[in-house]
Amino acid sequence: MSDIATTRYRLAENTIIAISRLVFLAVFFGIWEYVSQNHIINPIFIGTPSEIVKFLWNGLFVEFTLERDLLWTIVSTFLAFAIGSAAGILTSLVFITWPAVEKFSDPLLSALNALPRIALAPLFLLWFGLGIWSKVALGASLTYFIVLSSAVAGIRGTNSDHLTLARTMGASQRQTFVRITLPNAVPTIFSGLRLGLIYALLGVIAGEIIAAQYGLGQQLSFLAGSFQISGVFAVLAILALLGTSLLWAMNKIESRLLRWQ
Amino acid sequence: MGGVASVGERLAPVVEMHQRPTIEKSSTAVADKVVIQNLDHHFGNGLHAVSDFSLTIEPGEFVSIVGPSGCGKTTVLNLLAGLFPVRSGTISIFGSSPRAGRHDVAYMLARDSLFPWLTAAQNAEFGAEIRRMDRQSRKSRAQRLLEAVGLKGFADSYPKALSHGMRQRVALARTFCLESQLLLMDEPFGALDAQTKLQLEQVLLSLWTDERRTVVFITHDLSEAIALSDRVIVMSARPGRIIDDIRIDLPRPRSISALQKSADYHKLYSLVWTKLEMGLNHE
Repeated sequence: MSDIATTRYRLAENTIIAISRLVFLAVFFGIWEYVSQNHIINPIFIGTPSEIVKFLWNGLFVEFTLERDLLWTIVSTFLAFAIGSAAGILTSLVFITWPAVEKFSDPLLSALNALPRIALAPLFLLWFGLGIWSKVALGASLTYFIVLSSAVAGIRGTNSDHLTLARTMGASQRQTFVRITLPNAVPTIFSGLRLGLIYALLGVIAGEIIAAQYGLGQQLSFLAGSFQISGVFAVLAILALLGTSLLWAMNKIESRLLRWQ
Repeated sequence: MGGVASVGERLAPVVEMHQRPTIEKSSTAVADKVVIQNLDHHFGNGLHAVSDFSLTIEPGEFVSIVGPSGCGKTTVLNLLAGLFPVRSGTISIFGSSPRAGRHDVAYMLARDSLFPWLTAAQNAEFGAEIRRMDRQSRKSRAQRLLEAVGLKGFADSYPKALSHGMRQRVALARTFCLESQLLLMDEPFGALDAQTKLQLEQVLLSLWTDERRTVVFITHDLSEAIALSDRVIVMSARPGRIIDDIRIDLPRPRSISALQKSADYHKLYSLVWTKLEMGLNHE
């Protein structure tokens, strides 16, 4: 009985919250539209919600230009993420297997990691051209260090009781690694991967803003440069949606993989 | 340990191994005993943990080692487990020197140390799997042990869903799932509340009674040591020496809860307590 009552109460609470959010957004966009239409603030700076919707409609369903840019950005982000995280995990395995390598490369890697990676963009453009690969390189260079440090932390963070137990059971090094160290590291590695994905997107967008043929970042820089502020907001909305869906997908995979947590 | 090949669905092999000495009963039975002679252990930092420690444990015997905290009882256990090398003195386990990972020794820690990513059943069979017991027999063995420790119906639960006591039950099942003749237990119930502790002691007793393996049990809880053991070894404060070796002749099978009211039990308790006090005052 009381269970049903609490679920009902929850449902009512959630509905109220959802409605208040909608009301808030409606009021917010209403004021924005009003302020912009009546030139209380110049629409050159803040755009107009109705124009944003129009831009999205045109771009997505009439001219299909936004899909092309979106696809470009998504493909670059995935490539950057895949390359960066694979390299990060491989490097962490090398470090774990041969600690001397880590000792040797630690200051070099720290220096590279401390370097604001966006500063490498001009170099990457020169090396990899205006196309997709300079963006992939930038995104991957961000993802790499994040995934590397989380993988090393995860693998190092093995419970010492578990290792003692494995020793007394007579586990081989391989068994210990595959059956204990690796599963134990998965949650830490995963939080690194999640962050790495967001940073891959960041790197790709930054690269596109600097110089590109296609992509949402390129679109953003073009629209801002030609004072189409409503268009800029439209692209920002798409980016927010893209980032959110990437995180959502990552969380789904994580909760499937880490049912035991 | 050639017995591994003949491991069937039953728990029989271990029992058979321990019936041998009663037939021979000669001085050559060293191969079935655990013999510690003149053990002395200094740690690298100069800490003198154990001093002149000699002990012979008969096959199938349940021996507890009690003593004040820091007296080196865990050091003795870890030396038996082969977790660090013996520096001075000798240890012989069934005729050979200790080595971590030998299949005739199983080790259980104070913390349950279950793997959170494995279910209760997977945890219970983990050690047996590492030791390459065949799939069918380890599965049925783990299932039977989970039932024996009172966790029927929790086989597919992850550790996070289990209480402290239940997790330690799984750890007991995992330890017994290994077909090792020597069980080394380092305060396995030390972190449990009094009620749960009594329940688990009873579970341990019944598991042990079924198979009669040799047990070395470390604890600082005298009542636990007396209730479970055939012999209680009392150690002094550091450097740990043996003060006394007290035979517990309470009849078996024992009921932990009935013992709480037994006069013999309390007599033994005060005897062990007196010895322990001597060790404390000695320093």
